Amino acid sequence: MSETAARALAQMFERMSGVIETEKDHLSELDGAIGDGDHGITMSIGFKAVTAALAALDLDSASPSDVMSTAAGGFLDAVGASTGPLYATGFRRAAQALAGRGHLDLAACRDMLAAMSEGIRDRGKAQRGDKTMLDVWMPAAEAAATAVANGRSKPEFWKAVEIAAENGAAATATMVATKGRAARLRERSLGHTDPGAASAAMLIKAMAAML
Amino acid sequence: MALKTSAPRKSGPGRANGSEGIDTIPLRYGDDPYVWACWLYYEDGMTQGEIADAMGVSRATVNSYLADAREKGIVNISIEPARLASLTIAQELKRHFGLADCLVVPNDDDTRPLIGRLGAAGAQALSKMIKSGDTLAVAWGRTILSVGEHLEMGALQDVTVVQATGGTTASFAYTPELTTAAVARAIAARCVNITAPAVVGSAQMHDMLLAEPLIREQFDTLARANRIVFGISSLRPNSTIHTSGFFESVPLQHYLAKGAAGVLAGRFIDERGRPVAGPLDDRTIGISLEMLRGIGTRVAVAGGFDKVPALLAALRGGYANVLVTDAATGAGILRADGVTSLDGKLSQRQKSTPVANSYRTHVKKFLNNPNDVVEEMLDGLIASHRSYLQPVGTSRRALVARNGPRPGKVGLVIGGGTGHEPCFVGYVGKGLADAVALGNIFSSPPPDPIVKCAVAASGGAGVLFVYGNYAGDVMNFEMAAELAEEQGIPIRTVLTTDDIVSSPVEDREGRRGVAGNFFVFKVAGAACDLGMTLGECETVTRKANDRTYTVGVALESCSMPQTRRHNFEIGPDDMELGMGIHGEPGVSRERVRTADEIVDTIMDNIFKEMKAEPGDRVAVLVNSFGATPLMELYILYRRVEQRLAAKNIEIEANWVGHYCTSLDMVGASISILHLDRQLTELLHHPCRTAILTINAPEADGAAKS
Repeated sequence: MSETAARALAQMFERMSGVIETEKDHLSELDGAIGDGDHGITMSIGFKAVTAALAALDLDSASPSDVMSTAAGGFLDAVGASTGPLYATGFRRAAQALAGRGHLDLAACRDMLAAMSEGIRDRGKAQRGDKTMLDVWMPAAEAAATAVANGRSKPEFWKAVEIAAENGAAATATMVATKGRAARLRERSLGHTDPGAASAAMLIKAMAAML
Repeated sequence: MALKTSAPRKSGPGRANGSEGIDTIPLRYGDDPYVWACWLYYEDGMTQGEIADAMGVSRATVNSYLADAREKGIVNISIEPARLASLTIAQELKRHFGLADCLVVPNDDDTRPLIGRLGAAGAQALSKMIKSGDTLAVAWGRTILSVGEHLEMGALQDVTVVQATGGTTASFAYTPELTTAAVARAIAARCVNITAPAVVGSAQMHDMLLAEPLIREQFDTLARANRIVFGISSLRPNSTIHTSGFFESVPLQHYLAKGAAGVLAGRFIDERGRPVAGPLDDRTIGISLEMLRGIGTRVAVAGGFDKVPALLAALRGGYANVLVTDAATGAGILRADGVTSLDGKLSQRQKSTPVANSYRTHVKKFLNNPNDVVEEMLDGLIASHRSYLQPVGTSRRALVARNGPRPGKVGLVIGGGTGHEPCFVGYVGKGLADAVALGNIFSSPPPDPIVKCAVAASGGAGVLFVYGNYAGDVMNFEMAAELAEEQGIPIRTVLTTDDIVSSPVEDREGRRGVAGNFFVFKVAGAACDLGMTLGECETVTRKANDRTYTVGVALESCSMPQTRRHNFEIGPDDMELGMGIHGEPGVSRERVRTADEIVDTIMDNIFKEMKAEPGDRVAVLVNSFGATPLMELYILYRRVEQRLAAKNIEIEANWVGHYCTSLDMVGASISILHLDRQLTELLHHPCRTAILTINAPEADGAAKS
């Protein structure tokens, strides 16, 4: 079973990389409005590095945790910027949460989302409402927890997570940035979706499609 | 047009002009009767009848002259822009959210705190609405207390003011009791307090209290309210919701987790204005959201950017039908709700100039593969600067100075994204930085090359990290510092924060580091080279940063090699003050002015913070953002020198040129280092790098002024 789970995660990263590649101009455009316009490029470089690192991994013997920590290392070395440490920390925490687990059941997915969200929060020292990717990861993780607690089916679980992520990304348009470069814009950041939140919602959509 | 042949009243022959004969037009009006009529009307304050007499035409003609003059643009009636903007915003808010009324206070008055201005405006709105016999419910809060303090009303009869929630024992001045009492006092109304706590221990206690005849009577009064005034609180960390102690913090976290975006009258709503259920609902004594929405006139008074999501939620939920806010918040709400028409309306009806056909969408650049830009640049610069630096091992993102690190010397590691050349790589060499870590364009390097730099720069006395204050750099350098310390290398860090317009002085630590890096690196490098200890190096570097002041102005955005498009557009006649070196939009956008006026604005900002006495010495850096030529930089330097001379401040040294760029951005920054003896010595300490050579044996000394 463990090889299936590891493969599923690897395919999830493939999908993420593909989505980011397709949307990279759009993401850079969003970033151009309130940041320095490189978010799409940064994410694209990061996920290409992740898939390259995973290609070197023997998925037949790797555990889900190995996949996540390999992804973390690949992402961090390639990207830098702020996205690098944030996602690298998120993936690393996810690796810890998945340690010893061979199955990607809904409880594991819930724990993975929670770990991602907490890792990103701890590294970036942001909170909800700061107009960051956290405004997507936190509600998504909470939706996952609620769905498991209410005994939802797999499609219902991912649907709830996806909707929470999309709503979270959309809500960043109503927020004033307090972290990162957009923070200097103050009220001029209003009305603009945070690019980090937008890409986070894309990643979660890719997760939902593949897990 | 009414035709009338009137006999000339003044001497001199009548002249046919326009459709009727009028008196000779005084010379100063040219041949234009419209201008004459307008002058008499608007400047001399004459009535249309008097003008008709003076001009020898009919009143109707005068009337049509005046009307036509406005059409022709001879007369422009202008309202003071800040006031016009708030009127426009109020109108848009009213339209977009279907409000009964909206009052927006301009943001041009910084002398009074926002709460006071909102209070005064709220009082003005209330005084127009409250009528004899009304029952007005009042929710608690700082803003509403301010409304009460500003409210003054003539004699009304039989007005009841009722507290909208239970009370609190909290020790702040804006409790429900005090807020309600202040409003009641101002309008000499009967005051009905709810004599129960706002939040009680259990749902049973809530039910028991509401069953009490006294409290039930008070609630009956509340249920009769035909008007309510309330504030809106956000759930942001600094909001009064957290600081007042009104709510317990654990339930608050619950509401936050459920997506609560705002609080009104003690009730929680999400971003769409839907009630958020939580543990306090059954324990809260006060008006319910449903009751509130049933009241005829619902006046919300609130402002501040952090309240935008909360205000938006309250408007979306239909809780307020009269809004009192400030212009910036109002514009923020509209923008946040996707209203784009506002920007056009606010920009003073400028005639849009049609975009020329030759308009280019892509910027021309010397490129091979855009994805290889950084690598190919590194190839070139490592080859070009071979005598100053070399890669650490095989990593070209970590470059170390030749003859830089030595045993017993504190190592200096700098770094950041690329795209700022000659920053950071140009400052690596003997007497300056020992190593530099480079990231992608405008992106921090990852921890790995930074650690490599720390190891390469370490001479056993510790390593100093100096880099600009950006979230990404901070995270990566912090991770690197942890890793380097695990390898036994003590690390100290100084973040550069010289961009004084990027954040107000109270938030100095939040400012970004820009071209003033140049001075901070130089001082740090000299301190390290002189053999100072790690602690001493850190202290003096921090001092250099504290005494470095930079303000930048951009005229055109930069373009990334991968997109070859401008990151954003600065209007054809505009400039952006406070633009960062990554092309982050600045803090304000204004019309381009003359070079001297721009320098004056910059220097005024710097003088506001730099406490320099006559006779003090400074170092000056006039830096191009990339595309601005030296010719213009010298024009700027000229004015900088004049302004400093006028204050009798002496320029110890100056640099004019490309020192910290932002790809091909058009613009420049001015940095001033306020010297003292120690900093002066460190500034003159010899160094030899690709870009900066000072007092080194081989140097020509050109850098010194």
